[in-house]
Amino acid sequence: MDKPEFYQRLAEILDVEEVKPENVLKDFDGWDSLAILSVLAMADAKYGVSIKAEEIRSVVSAQDLANLVEAKQK
Amino acid sequence: MNFTFHRKRISGVLVVVPANERSFVEEMRNFNFPKGRSLKLKEVMGYDKRRIVEPGVCVSDLVLFGLQQLFEQGLLKREEIDALLLVTQTPDHFMPATSSLIQGRLGLKQDMLCLDINQACAGFVIGLMQAFMLLEQESVNKVVLVNADVLSRKASPKDRNIYPLIGDGAAITLIERDDKDSVIHASVKMDGSRAEALIIPAGGLRLPSSPETARLEDVGDNNLRAKDHVFMDGSEIFNFVQTEVPPLIENLLARAGISSAEVDYFLCHQPNRFMLEKLADKLKVPYARMPNNVVEHFGNSGSVTIPTVMAYNLRERLLREQLQVCLAGFGGGLAWSAMLLRLGKLAFNNIIEYE
Repeated sequence: MDKPEFYQRLAEILDVEEVKPENVLKDFDGWDSLAILSVLAMADAKYGVSIKAEEIRSVVSAQDLANLVEAKQK
Repeated sequence: MNFTFHRKRISGVLVVVPANERSFVEEMRNFNFPKGRSLKLKEVMGYDKRRIVEPGVCVSDLVLFGLQQLFEQGLLKREEIDALLLVTQTPDHFMPATSSLIQGRLGLKQDMLCLDINQACAGFVIGLMQAFMLLEQESVNKVVLVNADVLSRKASPKDRNIYPLIGDGAAITLIERDDKDSVIHASVKMDGSRAEALIIPAGGLRLPSSPETARLEDVGDNNLRAKDHVFMDGSEIFNFVQTEVPPLIENLLARAGISSAEVDYFLCHQPNRFMLEKLADKLKVPYARMPNNVVEHFGNSGSVTIPTVMAYNLRERLLREQLQVCLAGFGGGLAWSAMLLRLGKLAFNNIIEYE
């Protein structure tokens, strides 16, 4: 998995310039139910994995989210 | 599961929507929800206007209104109806079947079949399949398929995950034998192990309605819902649709020997614009060939949405000419269905308002 590309896609969903691995997702203004749905769609379309909304809500940082998607790919 | 039908056709479509129109952005103000986010949801999901019934209006009221209009306009005769199939999740009563109530209120002949079918968003294709099978009988010449739901009455007005999205309505579809040797392919799949992703927990005999099941509970994000209300696991349904529906459609096309490019329109169930765009992306179909605008005008009305796409987006064309279309429905059950057919030269294809 290309992590920088993943963070860039996450930045587009959150409508910010940049997302760093250590950033806490809840700290973003744009981190709402629509963003979560967009992450589900991105994980499905770009990485071929299905994640549940609860799983996304349980992760803290952007890096946790990247790891979750990566773990599902295996 | 695959099905093939011969010499059957849809000959007319009439959609009945309640005159009562609600605005998404207005309604979201009742939830103390930031307006900016409501506007973003409107833009991405397509939530805007929807139609819901006034208190007390039942499925049979909408259907009666539509059928009477067809009788008055001479588009259908009472005595022609050999079968009345009603697909609904929100019947007037547990018993008897709502289709029988409609037959009685309209004074239809006794020499006919009335059948309620408990199916949700996959129910338009499933209803068509039942109609085609009945038309194998010599005694059956015309089947009236009715898809109708008033799910707004089972949604919590304090649950913004579902209440502002739902639409009510009824669709009446006439089905008869075709003189031409038309072939219709269909495919259906079911997964009851995921039934709880879309469910009204109470009100049946497993959990009868009581003061306890009517009590609103905080289900997170300031949303309140009772067990008497409809529940939807949005992310589960989203993943289900993106995973299961593309292969269903691809296999159907392959079996029929038709390429995606030969399909004029993909007429899908309409949960929201976002899901349909993602579905189109996955199937590599341009958005113009998979209309996604029903939810923004009428809301999500379950199995009524596919005939609504036909009448709202393709009214003139389907009156005038025949198109190759692929239908696809998906939702409660879980159930997902698709059908490939030539559709058009309809006798009528309208949307009317129920006051």
